[in-house]
Amino acid sequence: MGIVKGDQMVLNIGPQHPSTHGVLRLKVVTDGEIVSDIEPIIGYLHRCFEKHCENSTYEQVIPFTDRCDYIASMNNNFGYVVAMEKLMEIKVPDRVEYIRIIMAELNRIASHLLALGVYGLDVGAFTPFLYMFRDRERILDIFELTCGARLLYNYMWVGGVSHDLPVGFVETVYGFLDYFEPKLKEYNEILTYNKIFIERTADVGVLPPEVAISYGVSGPNLRGSGVKWDLRKDEPYSIYERFDFDVPIGEGTVGTTGDCWDRFYVRMLEMTESAKILRQALKDLPQGGDVHQAIPKKIRPPKGSIYQRTESPRGDLAYYIISDGTPQPYRLKMRSPAFTALSVLNEISRGWMLSDVIAILGSLDIVLGEIDR
Amino acid sequence: MTDNLEQLIKEAVEKALEGDMDAINNIEDRVTRSKAKAALVKAKREAVKEKTEASLDDNSESVSDSKKDKTSNEHIAELLIQQFPDDINKELSSNEHIQIQPKNWLIISIYLRDDPGCLFDSLQCITGVDLGEESDLEVRYNLHSMTHRHAVEIRISCPRNKAKVPSVESIWRIGDWFERETYDMYGIEFEGHRDLKRILLPEDWEGWPLRKDYEVQETYHGIIVPKVKEGWE
Repeated sequence: MGIVKGDQMVLNIGPQHPSTHGVLRLKVVTDGEIVSDIEPIIGYLHRCFEKHCENSTYEQVIPFTDRCDYIASMNNNFGYVVAMEKLMEIKVPDRVEYIRIIMAELNRIASHLLALGVYGLDVGAFTPFLYMFRDRERILDIFELTCGARLLYNYMWVGGVSHDLPVGFVETVYGFLDYFEPKLKEYNEILTYNKIFIERTADVGVLPPEVAISYGVSGPNLRGSGVKWDLRKDEPYSIYERFDFDVPIGEGTVGTTGDCWDRFYVRMLEMTESAKILRQALKDLPQGGDVHQAIPKKIRPPKGSIYQRTESPRGDLAYYIISDGTPQPYRLKMRSPAFTALSVLNEISRGWMLSDVIAILGSLDIVLGEIDR
Repeated sequence: MTDNLEQLIKEAVEKALEGDMDAINNIEDRVTRSKAKAALVKAKREAVKEKTEASLDDNSESVSDSKKDKTSNEHIAELLIQQFPDDINKELSSNEHIQIQPKNWLIISIYLRDDPGCLFDSLQCITGVDLGEESDLEVRYNLHSMTHRHAVEIRISCPRNKAKVPSVESIWRIGDWFERETYDMYGIEFEGHRDLKRILLPEDWEGWPLRKDYEVQETYHGIIVPKVKEGWE
């Protein structure tokens, strides 16, 4: 943070503030209403994730990953088990792969619903938030039906999943999709094309693609800037290559490519694509077989290291795991997408009004649990 | 009586370790038998631990990953050896990573970003690694190119008491926060970083928590810091 000049003022937002999406503190230097510098101060939720991992066995790491990104725990589990299975060269049964895809995509929809609803709340639209939470609740009910937990699942295990699907699961998810898909139109009417919402978000906080790449921004934020990059499509892991879906990108429909509205709308479109993947996965879901079949009795990977990237709802989630042959990881590093997304905040907020900073921060969709780890 | 039992268990475990499980299975008393089995498990676990501690040498990679694109990695290594013959440590490099000297890292990173054959436009991750209490620290950079769709891993090791590596914050902007995080956890100084300070921990925290020889400070602002337990099972 540079020198504060005579006509500037330092304003403190947070750590306890409703629109910081968690315990985040922003030190904002303002010149009247105009923001000239922002320093995000993080670490309030630091729980020593990586140090804990070094003292836990590989199985015990999974509940920790739940608690990093508590909005999309399934996807965090998924990234970890994919990395572990690659390190240990485990081939999991097809049914398990399909179950995982179904869970990951359901969680992606739930995560986006929360991101979009809360974003509406940030810029002053209260009603859409309630609509989206109502529908997110249905997904959480499906998770509860499957593994008993609503938010922190510990569902995906190395080599399998903790429970097989309950009776009537497929019908329930079909029922949800039939209910949910028409609702997307409703969200668009109530929020996306709302005039006030467009005024608040279009042309605001434009993130050029080259800046996004240099800052390591990934996922919907990167695609909002018009870069067609999705790990599910470009570097398929698990069985994503079997599904047919599009990668929506921001096109500057109501403003400039890469503005807050584009980042918002990419998430809206991604929910449609996730629903598409879900329908295909439910159709092809193999029946029978034991979901615990490929789970190793003892998890003791060979010596070596792995860097595995996966696409979480927030972007490029990667695990760097170093194994020394013992049942505990020698080193485990989590590359969190929200961490990189928050680092770009200063770059794209300078010169905007203070109220726009709230809109820009909300559009990045950060989760502090994952940033601080 | 108890001394006799302990002696019995000890002998049975020793025999079992040599491969004769009947020594334990033949014990008649159920409680003693299960005690012997527990002792056997413990002995085996300790043996494994000793073995791995002795052979902990992170540079020898034994995982062979068939899916990884080895050709691109080898290709980058060749390019770098041509351009910077003195900075690449060929013995320690493998198909999966390139080990380089810290001195010219900034120049190499510019080459990696801008050369038409490399074009690594994104720095994916910086991982700090402690190679052991007596050994060096290491920084690992995972680079990725969206244009060529290839990836490479660069490793730079630096001595424990004088951990200094050139900063690449000006090459890839995300380096700023990643380097601050690595500094926060390992105390590796990134020379040329404009604002190197702790990021996740409070500014007045003492020590480097992810180093293997880290010891928690006694008190923080007058509050006693609870001691970390030595692992749990």
